[in-house]
Amino acid sequence: MSSSADVAQERRAPARASFDGLRLENLTKSFGAFTAVDDLDLDVPRGSFFALLGPSGCGKTTTLRMVAGLETPTSGGITLAGQDITYAKPYKRPVNTVFQNYALFPHLDIYENVAFGLKRRKAGNVDAQVKEMLSLVELDSQTRKRPAQLSGGQQQRVALARALINKPEVLLLDEPLGALDLKLRRNMQIELKRIQTEVGLTFIHVTHDQEEAMTMADTVAVMNAGVIEQMGAPEELYENPRTTFVANFLGQSNLIEGTIKGRSGDLVTVDMHGIDVSVPAARSHADGDKGWIGIRPEKVLIGDPGEQLDAPGNSVPGGVVSDVSFVGVSTQYLVRMPWGQELQVFAQNTGHRRIYRSGEQVDLSWRPDYAFLLDASQDARAGAQEGTD
Amino acid sequence: MTGLTRRGLLHGGGAVAFAGVSLAALKLPLFGVSGAKQVPADCRATDLSDTEKKVIVSNWPAYIDPRKKSTSTASVFTERTGIEVDYTDDINDNAEFFAKVKNQLGSCQTINRDMIIMTDWMAARMIGLGWIQPLDADKIPNVHKNLIEPLRNRQWDKDLKFHAPWQAGLTGIAYNAAKVPEVKSFEELLTRSDLKGRMTLLSEMRDTMAFMLRVVGADPDKFTDAEWSKAIDRLQEVVASGQVRSFTGNEYIQDLAAGNIVACEAWSGDVIQAQFDNPDIKFVTPEEGLSLWADNMMVPNLAEHQANAEAWMNYYYEPEVAAKLAAWVNYICPVEGAKQEMEKIDPSLVDNKLIFPDNEDLVDAFDFMPLTDQQSQQYEGDFNDVIVG
Amino acid sequence: MASTAGTAPVTTAPASDDSSRRRGLTGYVLLVPGVVWLALFFVIPFYSLVATSLYDPGGSVFSGYEMSYQFSNYWHAIQDYWEPLLRSLWYAGLATLICLVLGYVLAYAIAFKAGRWKNLMLVLVIAPFFTSFLVRTLSWKLILADGGLIVNSLQAVHLLGPDGRLLATPFAVICGIVYNFLPFMVLPLFASIDKIDHRLIEASSDLYANPFVGFWKVTWPLSLPGVVSGTLLTFIPAAGDYINAQLLGSPNQRMVGNVIQNLFTQANDYPAAGALSMILMILIVAMVLFYVRRAGTEELL
Repeated sequence: MSSSADVAQERRAPARASFDGLRLENLTKSFGAFTAVDDLDLDVPRGSFFALLGPSGCGKTTTLRMVAGLETPTSGGITLAGQDITYAKPYKRPVNTVFQNYALFPHLDIYENVAFGLKRRKAGNVDAQVKEMLSLVELDSQTRKRPAQLSGGQQQRVALARALINKPEVLLLDEPLGALDLKLRRNMQIELKRIQTEVGLTFIHVTHDQEEAMTMADTVAVMNAGVIEQMGAPEELYENPRTTFVANFLGQSNLIEGTIKGRSGDLVTVDMHGIDVSVPAARSHADGDKGWIGIRPEKVLIGDPGEQLDAPGNSVPGGVVSDVSFVGVSTQYLVRMPWGQELQVFAQNTGHRRIYRSGEQVDLSWRPDYAFLLDASQDARAGAQEGTD
Repeated sequence: MTGLTRRGLLHGGGAVAFAGVSLAALKLPLFGVSGAKQVPADCRATDLSDTEKKVIVSNWPAYIDPRKKSTSTASVFTERTGIEVDYTDDINDNAEFFAKVKNQLGSCQTINRDMIIMTDWMAARMIGLGWIQPLDADKIPNVHKNLIEPLRNRQWDKDLKFHAPWQAGLTGIAYNAAKVPEVKSFEELLTRSDLKGRMTLLSEMRDTMAFMLRVVGADPDKFTDAEWSKAIDRLQEVVASGQVRSFTGNEYIQDLAAGNIVACEAWSGDVIQAQFDNPDIKFVTPEEGLSLWADNMMVPNLAEHQANAEAWMNYYYEPEVAAKLAAWVNYICPVEGAKQEMEKIDPSLVDNKLIFPDNEDLVDAFDFMPLTDQQSQQYEGDFNDVIVG
Repeated sequence: MASTAGTAPVTTAPASDDSSRRRGLTGYVLLVPGVVWLALFFVIPFYSLVATSLYDPGGSVFSGYEMSYQFSNYWHAIQDYWEPLLRSLWYAGLATLICLVLGYVLAYAIAFKAGRWKNLMLVLVIAPFFTSFLVRTLSWKLILADGGLIVNSLQAVHLLGPDGRLLATPFAVICGIVYNFLPFMVLPLFASIDKIDHRLIEASSDLYANPFVGFWKVTWPLSLPGVVSGTLLTFIPAAGDYINAQLLGSPNQRMVGNVIQNLFTQANDYPAAGALSMILMILIVAMVLFYVRRAGTEELL
C-alpha cells in the first residue's frame, strides 16, 4: 500500500464483476449544503469484520444507513456481490442492522422480535431457527418476555439475534455497544467477535471507540468529515498512520515539526530543530520539504543525559522532565524539549530503570523504524480531542 | 316556538339532575315525587313594590324594541314610573323554560322573577298548576279596556285573571313564490309532490296537530281521542312518505331563505321579518283556518314586585306604546287603538294584516283545546313518537 | 447518619406512630372534596335517574310520581324506541369508523410528516372548538345546502338526481357527526403515533417488512392505545348526540338522543326518558367493556 491512488485504480477496473463483497463507489450524501459523505470509495471483503471508525458527525452512520437503504445516496453507487443495490428498497436488501438503541419492537416478545424477519420472508421452520438463534445468544429462557423486561446487555443480544437470524450478506452494527457500561461492553465485544467467527458473515461495525474498533475488526477504516482518511489492519493503522488525524485519533502521538533534508534509498533524513533524525521511506507520507515527525509515546526511550540508549536511534538530547504520572504498569512523562514543545513518553515499569522526577535533565531516543513522517500541511492537533472519549 | 337548542337537553338534563338533588335531599331512599300543584294564595310573597322600585322580567329574545335608547318603550316606562326594569331574554322554549322552573315553582319556591312570558298552552298549564298569581284588575285597566276581541275569552282564563297577552301571532304556511306555486292549504303542504322532502313542519305539538286535526276534519277546540288518533296516523303516514324534511323550531326560516326548503308551516312574525330580505317569501292563511296564538305576561308565585309588574302590563296596553313595540317586533299587536297610533310611527305597517288583522278575519281562528295533564302527556308522547321517527 | 440512626428509635418511635395515624387521616380529609363532588354530580343524579326510570308511568307533573319499581318501563322503552336506538349505534359506529380512517391519516401526517408545521396543524385541528358546537353544525347546513356548490356539482355529474339532496339524509347526519367528533379521534391518535420511535419503523423495513406490512405489524399495534381511546371518545358522545340529527337530518334520521330530549322536555314523560337514558348508558358501557377486552388494553380504563 505505497500509494492508495494506484491501488484503488488497479483494484477497480478488472475486479468490478468478480468482487463478491460490499463495494461503495463515489458515494456522496448531502443534506442541503452539508455534505455528510463525500465521494466515498470503499471495499469490504466478504466475511470480514470491518470497522468504520470516526468521531460523531463524521458520516459513518450516514454511510451505514445508505448501505441499509434507509438513506438514498445523492450520487454514487453501492454494489453487493456484484449486484447494484444503490436504490433498492431497504426491505429488499440482504442486509440487516443492529440499531444503536436496538429498536426492538416493544409490543412483541423476544421470540416474535427475533422471528420478525423470517416471518416477513415467509421462511420455513421459523420455530427451530428462532430457538437456535436464541440459544446462540444465550437467551433461550427469556423467549416470552417483552424487551422492556430485559437488561441492556440482553436487549443488545436480542437485537443481534433479530438481525443475524436472517443470515444477511452484510450485518450492519451501528454503535451497538454504546449504551452498555464498560465491563459489559468488553464482554459483548468478545461475544460479537466469537459469533462473527462462528457464522462467518460480513460485519460492518460503526463506532467512535477506537479501542473497540481495533479489538474486534480485521480491517478498520478511519473516517473524518465524510471521507476515509485511512484503511487497513488495526496494527497497520496504529503503527503507520498516514495522516495527523489518524495518528491522533488512534492512540496518542508526538508530532514534531521538521525540515526534510534528503531522501536516500530507504531513508528520509529530517532536520528536527537542529537534530538530524531519520524515518524509513515506507513510513514517510510527506511530499513537500517540511513535515511532522511522528512517534508514539511508548516508543520513546528516556535516559540520563549522555546515556547510550538502544542504538542505533534518533537521539534527542536536552529535555527536562516537566510532569510525571505514575500509573502502575507504566510511568507517563511530559518532557519539555529545547524548542519549547512538550513530548509524551510512556516508560514501562520493568524495574530496570529508575523513575525520573520532575525537573531532571533527560535525553530521549527512538528507533527510526518506529517514527513516521506526515505532511506539514495537516493540522497537528486534528483528531486529538475526539479520540479520547 | 321550539328553538330547539343544545341548551334544550342540557337544561332538561340539568333540571332532572337538579330535581334528583333536591328530591334526594328530602326523600331518599323513599323515591317518588309529590305533585307540583300549588295553591297561589299559599305561595304569595309580601309585595315590596313600594319600597323596591324594580321589576324583574323574563322574555323571549328579540321580543322588545332595543332598550338602551332613551326613547324606547322600556326607558320611557322607567322614566315615567321610576321603576327600574331588570330584563332578561332567557326564554327560548316553553318546554325548556318549564323544565327550568319546575322544581322551584312545583315546591313553592321563588324563581326570582316578577314576570314571565309564556305561550298559550304553557300559560294554561302553569295557571292550572297554580304557579301563577292572580292579577289585580284595578291596576291593569288598560288591559281590560284595550285587549283585542279575538284574544278575549280564552278557555283557560276567561276573565284575564292571570294573564295579559304580550304579542300574538298566526300559525300558517310560508312558501317561496320564486320556486313553487302558491301553497293554499295544509292538505297541499302534506301531499304536493313538488314539496316532497322540501317542506318542514313545526315541532311544537299544538301548532302542527291543530292543523292535522283540521285536515282530518276534526275541531282542535274540541276533539276526541279517536279524532286525535286519526290525525296522528295521518301525520305518521306523511312522515313515512318522506314528505316532511324535518320538524323545526325557529330555524325553518333560515332554511326557507337559503332555499333548502320551499314551503313550511310558519309563524307570521318570522315571515314578515324574512320578507324584508326576500319579498318572494309569502305567508298564507291555510284554507283549514287560522291558528291564532299569543305569548302571555304572567306573574309567577312568590314574585316580590307584583304591583310593579302590573304597572308594566298596564303601560304596554297604552295604544301608543303598543304601536311602538309592534313597529319593532312585527307580530300581531293585541292592543286596540294601536293601529291608529301606528299612522304616526310607520304608516307602511298600518295595513299589514299580519300586524293589525281585521277582527272579522280572526273570528274563525281556532284554538287548541285545553288538555289535562294526562292528555297532554299522552298527546305529546304520541306526537314525539312521530317526529323522532 | 449513623449516629442519628442509632438514637432515633428511642426518641421518635411514639411520635412517628402518632404522626402516621394523623397522616392516614389527612389522606381521607383530602379525599373529601373529590368524594363530595362525585356524590353531588355523579352519584345523586345517577341515583335519581335510576329512580326516575322506575317511576309509575301513570304519574304526571300535576299528581307527582309514585315509586312503583316499574321495570316494565325499560321493556316499553325498548319496544317503542328500538329503532332510533339501533340507528344511533349504527350512525355512531359508522361515524367512528370514518373518523378513525380520516383521523389516523391526519394524525399520522401530523406526527411524522408535518415537521415544523406540527404545532400549527395541531392548533388547526382544535381550532373549530373555538366556535360553538351549534354554529359548527349549522355551517354544515350551508355546505350541504340544496342550492349549494356540493349538491350542484354532484347533480352536474349525475351522482345526484335533479331532485336529490344531501341535507336531511343519513349522509348529512354522519358527515356532521364525523366532523364534530374528529378532533376527539385525532388528538389521542396523535399522542400515540407521535410517541412511536421512528427507528422502529426503519427496523421493520430493515427486517424485510414492506411499508404496508410494516404499518400493520409495527405502527398500528403501537398506536392501538390511541385507537382505543380515540374510538371511545368518539363513539360514546356520538351515540348520545342529537344536535346533528336535529339540524342535519329529517325525522327518519332521528337518534336516541333526540328521543330522550323530546321525552324530557316536550312530552314530559320522565319515566320513559329515564328508562331510555339508562338503556343507552347500559348498552354503551357493555359495548365499551367488550371492546376494551377485545382490544386487550384494559390498562386504559
